[in-house]
Amino acid sequence: MEDKPNTTVIGSYPIKIDNHEFINNYYQNKKTSWQRYIKNAVDDMVNAGIDIISDGQTRDPFVNIYFRKIKGCRIRARPEVVDNVEFEKPITVDDIKYVKKIIPEKTRIVGLIAGPYTLTKSCVDMYYNDEKKLSFDLADVLQKEAELLQKHVDLISVDEPFFSVSIPDYACDLIEIVTKKLSCRKRLHVCGDVSKIIPVLLDMPVDILSHEFKAQPGLFNNFKDYSVDKKICLGCVRSDKKRVEDIEEIKKHILKGIDVFDGKINQLSPDCGLRQIPRENAFKKLSNLVKAGEEIYG
Amino acid sequence: MFSFTKKQKTYEIRNIKIGGQPGENPTLLFGGFFFKGEPDFKTAEKDLENMIYLSKKTGNPSIPDFFIKKEEFIEEIIIFIKKNLPSGYLFSVDIIEPELKIKTLESLKKEKLLDRTVFNSIHVGITSEEKKCLKENTPAMAILVAFNPKDKSPDGKIEVLENSAHLQKAGLIDITKEIGIKNILIDTAAMAPGDYSGSSISAIPVIKEEYGLPTGCAIHNVVEKSKWLDDFKHAKKIVDAASNMDIPLFGGDFAIFGPVQNADFVFPIIAWQDILVSEYTENYFGTKPSKDHPRRKFF
Repeated sequence: MEDKPNTTVIGSYPIKIDNHEFINNYYQNKKTSWQRYIKNAVDDMVNAGIDIISDGQTRDPFVNIYFRKIKGCRIRARPEVVDNVEFEKPITVDDIKYVKKIIPEKTRIVGLIAGPYTLTKSCVDMYYNDEKKLSFDLADVLQKEAELLQKHVDLISVDEPFFSVSIPDYACDLIEIVTKKLSCRKRLHVCGDVSKIIPVLLDMPVDILSHEFKAQPGLFNNFKDYSVDKKICLGCVRSDKKRVEDIEEIKKHILKGIDVFDGKINQLSPDCGLRQIPRENAFKKLSNLVKAGEEIYG
Repeated sequence: MFSFTKKQKTYEIRNIKIGGQPGENPTLLFGGFFFKGEPDFKTAEKDLENMIYLSKKTGNPSIPDFFIKKEEFIEEIIIFIKKNLPSGYLFSVDIIEPELKIKTLESLKKEKLLDRTVFNSIHVGITSEEKKCLKENTPAMAILVAFNPKDKSPDGKIEVLENSAHLQKAGLIDITKEIGIKNILIDTAAMAPGDYSGSSISAIPVIKEEYGLPTGCAIHNVVEKSKWLDDFKHAKKIVDAASNMDIPLFGGDFAIFGPVQNADFVFPIIAWQDILVSEYTENYFGTKPSKDHPRRKFF
């Protein structure tokens, strides 16, 4: 057996937001800090024993975090592109700097980048009317964010869930643009059924591929048909079901992964962001994931 | 001055007619009864009489806005309303704490006053208990405060109306409709100077064009928070009253103009502005002022 994989997360973490505090502060002309929500998420990940944590993406659904700060975009009922998209200011860097201040020394951080194609597919394009051009312009914006982010993180993960729904023939080029100035490790996360796009994924300019093997166990067989030269982030607990998988169930799943990928498993994680499930369950899922990993790898 | 391409909703309820195209209906004015400390009902009675007089004289409809801070004041304020406010008049209750909102709504139902009540307000802080109570004790009208803690621009205000910026399960408009409140006013949420204060005014035409719903704000709050104006004490009250002119000028329908004591300034200022807007919009767009419009009163 090769090196012990790290436990990590894909992105979001469920935190209850005190909406009334926003209103009280509004009436009292006070600013509301978001840091306590980031801290809640980070503390849970650290206390669960996760090796590489995120900022929890507590502010918004993950694509909105980006659209809120990219010049040329606005958010109404949905995110809208209304002008040329440009990088204006750092998007997640301040939150990550804060995370760095509050975590134990041994804990590492994954910086999260919403993929350009997923952003393109998640907005109403009122300006470009050209999906490819918009995707490439967004990739340029994200490259700048990733470059700034890498100074503060140990790993950058590009999240492209839309690739499992439709993947353009320029998908690799987009990821290349986003990641080309990075010297840290790079991960590509694509959830959903990726069975039909495995060859494209294996060509991606990243070190680690991350997929939801728990919700899509058929992927184990699908990957057997290919020679995998990338590291694997193995999705081990479901992010769409409240039920908490027990340690034995997770261990069985990891062993299945070892059977297919041998020593390529580099990370153990939930299938995707945990935003949709109750906090208590999310915490238990992470804790069990850590314990299962320890029992297998020591 | 302008006209909206979106069809504009007009509500006719009790003593007021609100909404529509710029120049169509006079600006509705909410005068605040704040009661610092113990309510002083003697002064309140005079202020209420004066506001009703000014309303009749100018043609600008008015609604007294009762700020309720403590549970023990609920009953006294309701007694005051029943005794002093003509039965054809609406009134609003302006309450921050959810528990107090619930108790007030229950009392208003007991006193059969809900069909005259404007609920001030529904916002992203609404609790599930409050929603349940509003379903059981539904007021005639509600003010939706489009405050978005994530984005204070006009777009952010639309976002919060559409989906509560994901801080609630639905947007403020859908929440209000689901409760069963039929008459909706949109308050564009005035911000402090230096914190996107202009967006409460610029959001008025944006929201009216998007939804066609009666829209306004409490722009006087921006003046109140402009501490630099304390160096111009003689002017601050005038600026406070005059700030409300921005609302009809930008196509808005109502102003929550702050302390009712400012009514003597605010009513003539707004009537003047309404006349100005009406003259232009009738000449250019053919928008006829309604029968009680200040332009009909004074010309």
